[in-house]
Amino acid sequence: MFKKLVVLFTMFMIFATLSPAFPAAVKNSAGRTLPPDAAPLEYQVLRIMSQSATTLDWFISVYKRTNDANNYFGEPLVRLNKNFELVPAAAKSWRVSKDGLTWTFILDKNIYWTDGTPLTAEDFIFSFQLAADPKHGWDFAWFYSPIKNWDKAVRGEVSPSEIGIKQGNDPYTLIITTEYPAPYLPMMMLYSTPLSKKAYQKYGPYYNNDPKTSVSCGPYVLEEWTKDKQIVFRINKNYGGRVKPYLEKIIVTFGDPGASAFKSYLAGEIDICGYSNSQIFTPADLEVIEKDPELSKQFHQGFGDFRTFYLGFDCYNPPFNNPKVRQAFAYAIDKESIVNTIIRKQGITAYGFLMPGFPGANPDGLKNIYTYNPDTAKKLLAEAGYPNGKGFPSLDMWVRSDLASPTVVAVANAVGAMLKKNLGIDVKITVKETKTFMDTLNAHKLQFYLVSYGMDYLDQSNMLGIWASTGRHAWKNDRFDKLVEEASSLIDKKKRDEMFKEAEKILVEDVGGIFLWHQTPGVLWKPYVKGRDLEPDKYGITALHWPGIEGVGTTVFSIYISKDVLKYRK
Amino acid sequence: MLGYILRRVLGLIIVILLASMIAFFLMHAVPGGPFDELKMPLPEAVKKEILKKYGFDKPIWEQYLNYIWNALHGDFGVPFQSPTETVLSLIARVWPVTLQIGAVTIFLSFSIGILLGIISALKQNTWLDYLITTIATLGTTVPNFVIAIWLILFFSITLRWLPTGGWGEPRHFILPVMSYLLAPTAVITRFVKVNFLEELRKDYVRTARAKGLPEKTVIFRHVFKNALVPIITMLGPMIPDLATGSIFIEVTFRVPGLGKFFYTSALNRDYPMIVAMILLIAVLWGITYLITDIIYAYIDPRIVFT
Repeated sequence: MFKKLVVLFTMFMIFATLSPAFPAAVKNSAGRTLPPDAAPLEYQVLRIMSQSATTLDWFISVYKRTNDANNYFGEPLVRLNKNFELVPAAAKSWRVSKDGLTWTFILDKNIYWTDGTPLTAEDFIFSFQLAADPKHGWDFAWFYSPIKNWDKAVRGEVSPSEIGIKQGNDPYTLIITTEYPAPYLPMMMLYSTPLSKKAYQKYGPYYNNDPKTSVSCGPYVLEEWTKDKQIVFRINKNYGGRVKPYLEKIIVTFGDPGASAFKSYLAGEIDICGYSNSQIFTPADLEVIEKDPELSKQFHQGFGDFRTFYLGFDCYNPPFNNPKVRQAFAYAIDKESIVNTIIRKQGITAYGFLMPGFPGANPDGLKNIYTYNPDTAKKLLAEAGYPNGKGFPSLDMWVRSDLASPTVVAVANAVGAMLKKNLGIDVKITVKETKTFMDTLNAHKLQFYLVSYGMDYLDQSNMLGIWASTGRHAWKNDRFDKLVEEASSLIDKKKRDEMFKEAEKILVEDVGGIFLWHQTPGVLWKPYVKGRDLEPDKYGITALHWPGIEGVGTTVFSIYISKDVLKYRK
Repeated sequence: MLGYILRRVLGLIIVILLASMIAFFLMHAVPGGPFDELKMPLPEAVKKEILKKYGFDKPIWEQYLNYIWNALHGDFGVPFQSPTETVLSLIARVWPVTLQIGAVTIFLSFSIGILLGIISALKQNTWLDYLITTIATLGTTVPNFVIAIWLILFFSITLRWLPTGGWGEPRHFILPVMSYLLAPTAVITRFVKVNFLEELRKDYVRTARAKGLPEKTVIFRHVFKNALVPIITMLGPMIPDLATGSIFIEVTFRVPGLGKFFYTSALNRDYPMIVAMILLIAVLWGITYLITDIIYAYIDPRIVFT
């Protein structure tokens, strides 16, 4: 009897191993077991499109990187999951001192560069010091202002080696000190993907542009970079970090996302479309999507980068230095109808600067400050000395060219028409080339404009901070400045939230800007692209969550290609 | 003749110097610079270092003289968009792509245009003539980027025969060339037709026919030659036009050619690239016109250089 059982069991095992009904678990090159419904390994390739790039490294240039499709071969201190929660990355843990001024990050000892060197505090210190050095001419040098001596270093007043980033007791302890308590510092450390000190010193700033000199400590390595054509990332077999990916390769084709991505997606050449700001769908694209039931199912809308579009003024000079004029404008614009008729699917009405879902957003509290009311608008303008718009200068509304999609230009025209109809003011619309626009805005010389801002990290200090009088807008309110400055460095979350709430209310009441809509961008992905991060988040929203498929998020590492791909790819 | 050519070359050099000067000074007069301040203003010290790095902290005339001096030594600088190569190596990398597409387009548009033009002239006022005229009118009126979108919709999205863009395989040629092709082909067709009809009405044709020459000989030996001479005038300007590419076509089809750099260089305030591209165009146009004029003198005995 026992013998028979042994024979039966052996036969069953042989059968089970050979039978396709019991497939053995497939592991990819990095040793991660693929989900049961995953397509064979050779299909585990994600194809996306991005703008051509000068570098892939954050600390070399922020604006000349590929849009949102980089940092796969670096390991930031922290990453962000789809619920916008920080998760450990190069730092396995972090803590803050009692006074809130000193942050200690404990680095993961399992992470090595592909040249065999361990990733240590030295690489982070090197990268930050480089960024703080005015000689490096880094294009995001304003960003790390809370770090001790940062501002002084970028102004050239102290040496970059004096900034508050130091090694702790051992090479795996990184200590960051700040000028004032900055509870959002770990959030800022999303942007900390380091350069390899060794490779930089040996090959120069662009060592990552060539597979021969490129060095990775992240989930992928650089396999190919053909200028103006494509970049190919290959899975890093020796990756020791926490986000071991499923995908064997990521192919980033270069193309103008606005001009080519949707067409390439329809032709089956790329798998995801619309993940970056420059890939907003035009009204015509949306119509194509809405009419096609298959495409409609592939279309998902999310928070994007919590971007708010708004009208701004030069509040330092007439006529907008008179708050009544700005209030008249706020009453004269019917935001709801703009959103319902022009923006439609791509956004929601904005009542403040912070989009619902963003920490501290307060749409209900701000909703009724200015509601559309042409009569009140007229009255206020008359009180300001311009009855029926008489004597009011004709305006030239600038729209920044990189944001001037057909939808945004349509909104600008609608606003112009409303101001003419309700206040008798003539408004000309000018789409202004980005650099000219920003040069004028930053110089506080722009009279009237339509622009947007998307967040860098999820904290009120980031979004509201740009409205401080030291920022880009020609609007100043002492109480606002004080509130934002103080709240930014508060550790008491409740009090902090209250102060930010008050600040945002001042911004809306004093009409620093007129907030029109929050963008809820859509993204298309093919039915065979699956993964944990593409399933609903804690708000029930299924979308590509910021930062999209960039390596500082966790999304790209949760994505795999399912067997359905066999129906689509040849 | 040699004196004439020398005078023209001298003129060309002056034109190039003037073009570089205008480009250089205009470029620096435009707001913005080779730095990005998309979100927030950059600290002054950082901006100053960037300007210093590119030598922009010096007086503008000094910058210009430095530029010309370096350019005379073959150093056109480093493009801001691609700092791992020089302006010359970038142009050497991307220009051949545009030239290849341009050459194929010129060859095809002339072959097809001449053929259709002749057919249209010989079969004047028949359905064939009307059809060709309709296509030619469409070709001259519909811009090439609209044609490009139609082609992508039909061949890439509906039929899935051809890629929507890219570069490196022969099939990547087809759609860009087709988009470029229609307009010049249409113009050549119309031009050839008109010239042909004009020649057909001339006395020597009547004489040839009266002598009893077969129609084939009349058309191909006599009319053909005379009708085609003016086409050289058309070939001239087409060369620099196609040799510098089109931003619309190259961006639409993701062709890594020179065309898109005219646009991206201006947007990025990539000063070394902007001046280099303007010089390139000036040289191309100058040389093309010079060669056209010389060829003319050889073909048309009525032209004499003084």
